[in-house]
Amino acid sequence: MDLLTSPDQDEIIAAAASFLNDKMSTDQSRLQFESGTTPAVSNAAWAAAAELGWFALGLPEQFGGVGFGLAEEALLFREIGRAAAPGPFVSTVLAARVAALSGAQDLADEIVAGRGVGLTVPGSLHAIGEDGSIAGEVQLLDATSGLALVLSPSVASIIDVESLGDRSRVPCVDPTVDLQRATANTLSPIAHLPASTEAVEHRAHVLIASMLTGIAEWARDAAATHAIDRVQFGKPIGVNQAIKHPCADMAVQAQLAYAQTLFAALAIDEAREDAEFQALSAHVAAAGAAEFSTSTTIQVLGGMGFTHEHDAHLYVKRAEVWRRTLGGMPTHLARLLELSGPV
Amino acid sequence: MDLSFSTEDNEFRDEVRTWLKANAPTGRRPKESHAMREFDLAWQRTMHAAGWGGVAWPVDYGGRDLPLTQQLIWYEEYARTGLAPIDSRFVGLAHAGPTLMLRSSEEQKQFHLPKILGGEVIWCQGFSEPEAGSDLASLRTRAVVDGDELVVTGQKIWTSFAAVSDWQELLVRTDPDAPKHKGITWVICDMRSPGIDIRPIRTIEGGADFNEVFYDEVRIPLANVVGDLNDGWSVAMSTLSFERGTAFTVSQVQLASSIEALIDMARSRTSINGRAVIADGAVAERLAKARADCAALRALTYLGISKNAHSTQPGPEGSMLKLQYADLAKRVYLLGLDVIDTNALAFALDEDDSDWVDRHLMAFSTSIGGGTSEIQRNIIGERVLGLPR
Ligand SMILES: Cc1cc2nc3c(=O)[nH]c(=O)nc-3n(C[C@H](O)[C@H](O)[C@H](O)COP(=O)(O)OP(=O)(O)OC[C@H]3O[C@@H](n4cnc5c(N)ncnc54)[C@H](O)[C@@H]3O)c2cc1C
Repeated sequence: MDLLTSPDQDEIIAAAASFLNDKMSTDQSRLQFESGTTPAVSNAAWAAAAELGWFALGLPEQFGGVGFGLAEEALLFREIGRAAAPGPFVSTVLAARVAALSGAQDLADEIVAGRGVGLTVPGSLHAIGEDGSIAGEVQLLDATSGLALVLSPSVASIIDVESLGDRSRVPCVDPTVDLQRATANTLSPIAHLPASTEAVEHRAHVLIASMLTGIAEWARDAAATHAIDRVQFGKPIGVNQAIKHPCADMAVQAQLAYAQTLFAALAIDEAREDAEFQALSAHVAAAGAAEFSTSTTIQVLGGMGFTHEHDAHLYVKRAEVWRRTLGGMPTHLARLLELSGPV
Repeated sequence: MDLSFSTEDNEFRDEVRTWLKANAPTGRRPKESHAMREFDLAWQRTMHAAGWGGVAWPVDYGGRDLPLTQQLIWYEEYARTGLAPIDSRFVGLAHAGPTLMLRSSEEQKQFHLPKILGGEVIWCQGFSEPEAGSDLASLRTRAVVDGDELVVTGQKIWTSFAAVSDWQELLVRTDPDAPKHKGITWVICDMRSPGIDIRPIRTIEGGADFNEVFYDEVRIPLANVVGDLNDGWSVAMSTLSFERGTAFTVSQVQLASSIEALIDMARSRTSINGRAVIADGAVAERLAKARADCAALRALTYLGISKNAHSTQPGPEGSMLKLQYADLAKRVYLLGLDVIDTNALAFALDEDDSDWVDRHLMAFSTSIGGGTSEIQRNIIGERVLGLPR
């Protein structure tokens, strides 16, 4: 047992952080969404991420992937979360997998080469068939290049969003995200993968947990920095336990989320029996940490936190969106209770 | 002790309800600042014409001077209109105006008070600075006396409605060598003076009412000083208890109706697992707890008002109400997102569910503006319980 990163993994993290800082910073995404472009990532930056192999990092080599595990992907997604990098990362990476493992290798290659795939968000008025077909009202996140991933407990599929009816764009809480609403009579997928072959939804829990962990860590650091730098009443505000203690709580929650997310990623990589339970636990821990930490950071920032003068508002909105994209917490908690516990 | 209102009070409630129903604006309040200003001022003029312009203002200054119980009734009924609890009229009516009544000269009162009550002008509050928020007394905006004028140079921040204001209650440092509370002056600033530069700051929910205000050798007549030079701290503090416990009534009543609306929604909507939202134990528990907490908040309002009706010394309920309101509002509006679930992803102002997103984002301000929750806890710990500083 060893939960520490290896030098190779540290290199992935460092390279990712520097790329994100260079190409997908919040300053860059602000320029995009303020001029009305969503997802707020330039085509060039997205293509550069594809070039780095980000969409095939965990894909087995036989499918043209890099061949790392979910653990490495989790480390990458934590950096994506920390940077608040815009774009449909989760669904693109998972769609490449659905395509490859279901035999649609051309489609997999296209996705890996940089065709982004959006995410279909479940609503109360929609149904997913065993073959990955979809009916009813759906919301689509960042499905601007025509494809979207559909996830359910029993199947994962890719749909062609051009075939959906009544498609309309609505502003998203997270201004970097492209949100569309649509309805489907019954739309068959262009590729699908039964959960019996691979449970893609469990991987989604882990990747989203990783992003939420990165968001929580960003918030923790932003709050701590401010608590050290900001002076009121002649002292840094961090000397007050009213500030110090919530900062400490953020540190604890972020560390728990990080540890559980890695545990879950390894549980899936090692095909443990309790993989789904661990993945859901990671999602729950990281969603809680992200919600608590981003809102607490706004409080620590004071008036500035309530404005666009600081990035905290972007992170609070992003956490709000990502902790809901696989359906709300009640669903995850109910499922968590149904499962047998940890092994 | 008695929970029922007198016959007179009940008749008063009927009168207020009927009047508000017939006269309160029903259209959406504009989001754009200048249109918002005109909307708020028009509403003030309507109220003033019917004698409702200043329910807490003394009769001498054109107000109604209602007893506290009837102020409470007024605010409870006002809340039912769905109008914003705080709008651009707030500083004039609830802060600057009352300060002028207590501390300014006859000329200043006669010039300004009728304009505030009559819905002719908007006031803003120039207190906070980049380096002076919770620690307001460390403010640095400098003013030097030059003949019969003050010359002001410096910067204010988070000034609500500055861009649409006519006047500002401005705190400046007139004696940099005195202890920090002793060198401050409270002065009336004409927002159209040369040398004032107002820059908007976008707020979390996309609003444009917040501003930074820069002062570059702005000349203000010494006659605009309220109280004495260097006595501004005591002037600023003299108004803090003006509302005497009624300040949060509108917000609290609206929060209570938000909770009822959420309970209805949780009953009638299904979540993605096909069951009613309220069938989820965690959601049900949070809704029930919010309902009980909000009931207690109302009771605390009533207790505070009862006390203040019998004493001129305001009790600690003010800080407690502010603290608890902020905590509850943040909880309730986060819960609102969990009730509307994936509809919370959208933020389109023409959609009903987006109101819940807007309220959630706005709720972040409740524990920051007007003194943060941490500062309220310090006040309660030190002044109510006598804990060491
Ligand atoms: C919606 C809104 C409207 C506003 N409108 C106006 C306006 O019209 N005019 C105006 O002048 N100002 C206005 N303000 C500013 C407001 O008064 C300040 O934001 C507030 O006083 C806090 O100051 P700050 O933002 O500088 O935060 P800081 O004082 O820097 O506080 C940062 C954090 O440190 C904490 N902290 C600071 N000191 C202590 C301590 N001793 N113990 C424990 N914790 C501490 C705070 O609680 C906070 O969490 C508005 C603010 C908001 C949110």
